[in-house]
Amino acid sequence: MMQKRWFKVFIWFASTSFFFLVAAILISELGPEPSEQQAMQFMMGMMDAMHNSMMGLSMSLEHDAGLKSLIGTASYILVPLIVLAVLFGLLVRVRGKRDAG
Amino acid sequence: MSVRFDFIIHWLWTIVFALLTLSGLAMAGAKYGWVLNYDIASADYVHRVLAAIYVLLTFISIAYEVIRAVRYEEKKLGWFIIGKSGYQLFTFITTLIFIITGAIIWVCMDSNMSATAFALYIHEKLTYIVVASVIWHIYVKCHALLWPKKPNTTDKKNVAGTK
Repeated sequence: MMQKRWFKVFIWFASTSFFFLVAAILISELGPEPSEQQAMQFMMGMMDAMHNSMMGLSMSLEHDAGLKSLIGTASYILVPLIVLAVLFGLLVRVRGKRDAG
Repeated sequence: MSVRFDFIIHWLWTIVFALLTLSGLAMAGAKYGWVLNYDIASADYVHRVLAAIYVLLTFISIAYEVIRAVRYEEKKLGWFIIGKSGYQLFTFITTLIFIITGAIIWVCMDSNMSATAFALYIHEKLTYIVVASVIWHIYVKCHALLWPKKPNTTDKKNVAGTK
């Protein structure tokens, strides 16, 4: 697969895209501060996102009592689940070592 | 031709992560808005949809690792995104932080501003660290970028001559 030409083109494309991302970060961080017009454009974009995108939808969902209780329950069982997962993982490791030994 | 599972996950994850970074940067602040021409609505939509795929890919990867652990498979998966050491471990930890902080931002955006602000700070700064680490990762693995060699015509002639 790695020797296929179309895949090589894809790898080159994917790799260079990350260089573009770094360049975008550097240009934004080291460049001049945004002008008032740019700040307004950003704010307008954010308002648009709240009205027309999932940002607004998720905000309305937060007022959903059922969802709130679900999130509360999920948060409540998170820690015991992590502890159980760690114990299960340790058990698997110990059993694996014992079987190998 | 058989393509390994870890290989597929690696490149799917690469595409998703690159697009997540692009859409995320556009929302990082007014000075980043130019990245997607201040189209925050599209960036937000793309970021949320891809975040779900990102979580799904990570979940599949973790499940795969758990199954391997239960079966006592010790063989290292060279292409896998998560693992016990090195860059795989770094990716695993940073991915979990991205997912947790992302979920906090998504859920608490309107109700708990201090939690959202803290999660946004971690999410943003971690992006810079991880993008820089990806450049290092590309540098270390740059042999993958070598173009496949063309069959050498003189070699073919030599081989034919010896026959």
